[in-house]
Amino acid sequence: MLESVLASGGLVLLRDSVEWEGRSLLKALIKKSVLCGEQVHILGCEVSEEEFRDGFDVSINSQLVYHDLFRDPLNWSKTGEALPEGALGALRAMYRRTDPGPVIIALDSLSWLLLHLPCTTLCQTLHTLSQQDTCSGDSSPVKRVCVLGLLHEELHGPGPMGALSSLAQTEVTLSGTASQTSAHILYRRPRQRPTHKIQWFSILPDFSVDLQGGPPLESQPHPDPDTPLVDPTTHLTFNLRLSKKEKEAKDSLTLPFQFSSEKQQALLCPGSGQATSHIFYEPDAYDDPDQEDPDDDLDI
Amino acid sequence: MASVGPCGTGTGTTGSVAAAASKNNVTSFQRRGPRASSSDSGGSRLVSIAGTRPSVRNGQLLVSTGLPALDQLLGGGLAVGTVLLIEEDKYNIYSPLLFKYFLAEGIINGHTLLVASAKEEPEKILQELPAPLLDDNCKKEFDEDIYNDKTPESNIKMKIAWRYQLLPKMEAGPVSSSRFGHYYDVSKKMPQELIEASKWHGFFLPKKISSTLNIEPCSLTHGYIKLLQFIQKIIYEEGFDGSNPQKKQKNILRIGIQNLGSPLWGDDVCCTENCDNSHNLTKFLYILRGLLRTSLSACIITMPTHLIQNKAIIARITNLSDTVVHLESFIGSEREANPLYKDYHGLIHIRQIPRLNNLICDVSDVKDLAFKLKRKLFTIEVGCGVGHCLRNWLLSHLPSADGTKHILDSWGHREQKGPGWHTAAPEYQ
Repeated sequence: MLESVLASGGLVLLRDSVEWEGRSLLKALIKKSVLCGEQVHILGCEVSEEEFRDGFDVSINSQLVYHDLFRDPLNWSKTGEALPEGALGALRAMYRRTDPGPVIIALDSLSWLLLHLPCTTLCQTLHTLSQQDTCSGDSSPVKRVCVLGLLHEELHGPGPMGALSSLAQTEVTLSGTASQTSAHILYRRPRQRPTHKIQWFSILPDFSVDLQGGPPLESQPHPDPDTPLVDPTTHLTFNLRLSKKEKEAKDSLTLPFQFSSEKQQALLCPGSGQATSHIFYEPDAYDDPDQEDPDDDLDI
Repeated sequence: MASVGPCGTGTGTTGSVAAAASKNNVTSFQRRGPRASSSDSGGSRLVSIAGTRPSVRNGQLLVSTGLPALDQLLGGGLAVGTVLLIEEDKYNIYSPLLFKYFLAEGIINGHTLLVASAKEEPEKILQELPAPLLDDNCKKEFDEDIYNDKTPESNIKMKIAWRYQLLPKMEAGPVSSSRFGHYYDVSKKMPQELIEASKWHGFFLPKKISSTLNIEPCSLTHGYIKLLQFIQKIIYEEGFDGSNPQKKQKNILRIGIQNLGSPLWGDDVCCTENCDNSHNLTKFLYILRGLLRTSLSACIITMPTHLIQNKAIIARITNLSDTVVHLESFIGSEREANPLYKDYHGLIHIRQIPRLNNLICDVSDVKDLAFKLKRKLFTIEVGCGVGHCLRNWLLSHLPSADGTKHILDSWGHREQKGPGWHTAAPEYQ
């Protein structure tokens, strides 16, 4: 289910493209999490804060914790508002947070971070962020952390995409037909086979998700009527089936290497008119009649 | 290199080696000093370490990989001082199993373990090791597994290729710790007391490297340097390289490194095609092999080579490792729907077997190997050769039940010889 994408925690990748944009789905998932009472932190890099908050109503907006990296990413204005250490520092600050309860960290967008930070550093930071619930040996209640990252597929090569996919617990890839959007959800659980699901949906103006069934089935291709189905068992040069008589004859045949009692008798008493085979051997001039002594032909 | 036995005898088993040595011992000169082992009569000193055995081909000291079928494919086992590289499958489901089998085998044999990972804590990895199958449970488990797999037509005796029935059955039993390879039950965890009784060292990268933002650039990735230093320290302190003379009882160090080369180790070989430090991984393997060759240790490394973009690096890594095994799972690939592969979960390719003190290596004849993860066991089978494919195609395309039986009579059936191995016996009419 699309809503339960965030339930399992870990790193969730939301892969979108130019045709199928993912920010509305991201905002819809954020809205749903806030309504469920979870804490949501947003690291905004690509769009301004006003644009991001646009469309949410006041109650939701007041509960979002927004870290703005868009206005002043390199901290040139030197005011206290901007994040002092840049993107990496912001991520690490979130890691050191010790609030109990489940936390959703939404990264808008992960592509921006991937382009501005080295891939390995980003992978390591995301891994420590998303594994926060399992470590920490103190007796605090299990804090489930879910890192939701928006990733623009076309901006990156197969290398970084593969690296992030291998770290992610869930991947949602957006695609669709002309009229509807679909989300292909791939769940990667640690020691189990991955499962995937396709969900058709649309996002309503107030950022709630409307789940739909699939597109109408006319789009399936018809089998080509021109090429007839070929039956490979016709016109064979060998026999695939045996008649009953042939089968009986086959079963009663004694095979050459099977030692039955008749054969034993035949070998033990070679007489009684049976043509036994003899071997006639005429030694050559060079043949050695004595098997034991190899030097017999030397004249010493 | 830890090699065992007199060089150049070339005889078969160790029994005959010892016998030959004793036959030559007709001299009146007696060796003074303590004898290393009582079994041998002074001709050669066999190193008797628990869980090892000399290879029957070249006397190399071997340890078991934890999977007896894999041991057979590798020519008896993994040689001490070498690296076993497992190229991971795409979703990393089956390669951790081989990793855990290796470590579990070390615990059963009493070897020292060194577990290094950047993803999971070593304690967690050790908690999830499979439980060993012991004598009393084994027969029951295997019969149950075999029974579930037996298809109804396999009860027909073979009439033409009857000699295959005379083949000795593969050993189906696991058993006491004096055996070389053991069987493990994947559905159960190793008992806690065995883990606590074992000696292990863990290396978890995020803990060893504090988040320092200013790391001076050096020729090797910081994480790799730390790992190499850690391994070197353990080898030196515990005397695996013979440096500590007080150590009387020799033991093997089993090193397991998980997900080497992934971005979590700080290496960007998986992220970019033309990375700046493209020699990190190859240098690491080179230095690691140097450490292993001078000590009594064996190493297993799992590496996500499907993420490495530069194929030349994969070739270099293969050359720098000793034994390379590639797991290819069918999940998500087009082969999953292929009816030929429906019984299996993936293919296993033995990419390289080392030639240690030898001119030729012990490559097995079978090339089509497939693996299957049953509920309790990971089995490797002779999978999908031409005979099998053709048989299955004919079976699926015959319309009548009589025809089916006829084909089975002439093609024979696949016998279950044991949990680790199948022999395929196609009969030809």
